[in-house]
Amino acid sequence: MSAATQGSGLVRTRLEATALMLPIYIYYSIFLVLPYMLMFYLSIQRYDPVELYSNDIDFSNYVDVVTDPFYLGLFARTIGISLFVTVVTVIMGYPLAISITSARGKLKAFMMILVLSPLLVNLVVRSYAWLVLLGDNGVINSAVMALGLTDEPLAINRNWISVSLGLIHISLPLMVLSLVAIMERFDKSVFEAARSLGAGEWRILTRLHMPLALPGIAAGSLLVFCTVISTFVTPQLLGGHRFSTISTVIYQKFTFSLNWPLGATLAFLLLAINALVIFAHGMMFRERHRERAAQ
Amino acid sequence: MNSRGVQLASFLVLVFLIFPLIVIIGASFTTTPYVQFPPTGFTLKWYGDLVGRSDFLQSFIDSVVIGLVTVAGVGIVGTPTALSLRFGPERGRQVLRSFVTAPLTLPTIVTAVALLQVYYVSGLDFPWIAVTLGHILVTLPYYIRTLGAGLESLDPSALEAAESLGASRKRIFFKIIMPGVVPSIFAGMIFVFITSFDQVTMSIFFSSGSFMPLPIRIFSYIEFAIDPMIAAVSTLLIVVAFVAVIFMQKAMGLERGFAA
Repeated sequence: MSAATQGSGLVRTRLEATALMLPIYIYYSIFLVLPYMLMFYLSIQRYDPVELYSNDIDFSNYVDVVTDPFYLGLFARTIGISLFVTVVTVIMGYPLAISITSARGKLKAFMMILVLSPLLVNLVVRSYAWLVLLGDNGVINSAVMALGLTDEPLAINRNWISVSLGLIHISLPLMVLSLVAIMERFDKSVFEAARSLGAGEWRILTRLHMPLALPGIAAGSLLVFCTVISTFVTPQLLGGHRFSTISTVIYQKFTFSLNWPLGATLAFLLLAINALVIFAHGMMFRERHRERAAQ
Repeated sequence: MNSRGVQLASFLVLVFLIFPLIVIIGASFTTTPYVQFPPTGFTLKWYGDLVGRSDFLQSFIDSVVIGLVTVAGVGIVGTPTALSLRFGPERGRQVLRSFVTAPLTLPTIVTAVALLQVYYVSGLDFPWIAVTLGHILVTLPYYIRTLGAGLESLDPSALEAAESLGASRKRIFFKIIMPGVVPSIFAGMIFVFITSFDQVTMSIFFSSGSFMPLPIRIFSYIEFAIDPMIAAVSTLLIVVAFVAVIFMQKAMGLERGFAA
C-alpha cells in the first residue's frame, strides 16, 4: 500500500479521487457554469424587439430595474411576503415540533409521515387544493355563504392571502424538520431542573427552550425564506396576474414578453438576494447550511 | 413543555397540512360537474374520463420516461462522486461538497432560464432531452447526499480489516461497500424519480403544445378550468407520494432519507 493511502482502501491517490469526480465536473461545467455565464452575458445586453437582444454591452438593465418603481414594488412585495411566511411557519411549526419530539414510537412515526408526505405531493396539486378551498365558489366561500355570514365571496383568492397560505403550506414541513432536528438534541434534564426550581412553563419556554432552539429556528428560517422567495408555481397559480412575485415576472419575461435580457437581470438580482441572505446567516451563526428544498 | 395547548395547536397545524389533500381526494368522487367538498354522491366517472384522455396519458408516459432516464443519469454521474467524497483525501472535501450541492442553493427558476438560454443558442429541438438534463442537474445533490450518508454509516473497522487482510479493491467494493449502501441507493433513486416526476419549474420553460410532462399538463389545465377530473389525477399523485414515503421509511428511515 502506498504512502498516499488514507486508510480507505478504495481510493488510493488524489488522482483517482479526481478521476471519480470527472463526470460531475464535466456535467456541471456544461450544464451549470456555462449557462450561468451566458445568462450573465445576456443580462448586460439590451432588449431588441426584433432580434431578441442586441450587442450593446452595459449595465443599463440593472439600472433600469433598481430605478423603476414597478420593479422596486415587486421586490418589496416578494421579500415582504417571504418574511411574513417565514415568521408564520416558525409560529405554526414550533408547537408541532415540540409534540413530535416528545412523542414516541408509532405516534411519532405517524406524525412524521403526516408532516413529510405533503413534501412529496406535486406542487401543482398542492396549489390546486388551495384553489379549490379559496376560490369564489370554493369550499370556504360556499360554507361561509351557506351560513349566511356574507353575501359576497370573501376576497381570499388571487391576492396575498391565497399566495401566503399556499407558500406556508409548502414550506411548513421544512421548518418542522429543522426544529425537530434541534429539539431532538436537547438535554431534557435542563427543563426538569428549571421546573424543580419553580420556573413556570412560559418562563421555561421563552428563557430556556427557545434560546436553545435558536440555531434550529435560524436554519429553518433560512431554508423557508430561500425556498419561498424563489418559488414559482404557487404564486403563479394562486396569485395569477393580480399578485406577481419576482419568479412569476421572470417566467413572464422569458415566455410571453420575450424580454430575455430583463428576465436575466431579474434572475441575477433574485440570485443576489438569496446569496446575501445566506451570507448574512452564515455571518450570524457561523454554521454551514447547505440544506435547501427543491423547486 | 408538551401541554394541552401545545397538543391542540399541533393537531390544528397537522389538519392545516393534510386537510387540503383530503379535500382533493374527496372532490374527485363527486357526482357534480364542478368541484365540491364534501362530495355529493359517489362516482368514478372522473377517473374514467381521465383514462380516455390521450393527452394526459402521453404526458404521464413522458414524465415516467424522463424520470427513469434522470435516475440512470444521476446514478452514473453521482455514484463515483459520492465514492470520491467518502474515500478521497480529507483535504478540500468540504469545498467539493459545497460545489456538488450548489444546484440546491441556486434558485431552480434561475437555473432553468439559464439552461433555456443555452438550449436556445444551441439551436437543438429536443425539448425532452433538455428537460432531462435539467432534472439530472437539480436532483444530483439529493442522490449524492443520500448515498453519502449511507457510505458514512459503513463500519470503518470492516473496511480496515478487509484492507489489512489484503482484499482486492474489487472485492472490497462488491463485498463490503455495495451490500452496505444498497438501501441508500434505493432510497436516493426513489427520491430522484419523485423529484423529477414532480418537477415543474425546470420543465415548464421547455414545454409546448406537443411536449408536456404531466405536472405541466395539469398546470396549464388548471390555469383555465378547475374540474373534478383534475382532482382525480391529483388523487392518484397523492397516493403515489404516500406510497413513496412509506417505501423510503422502510428503506432507510424517514428522517435520514430527507435529512440526507
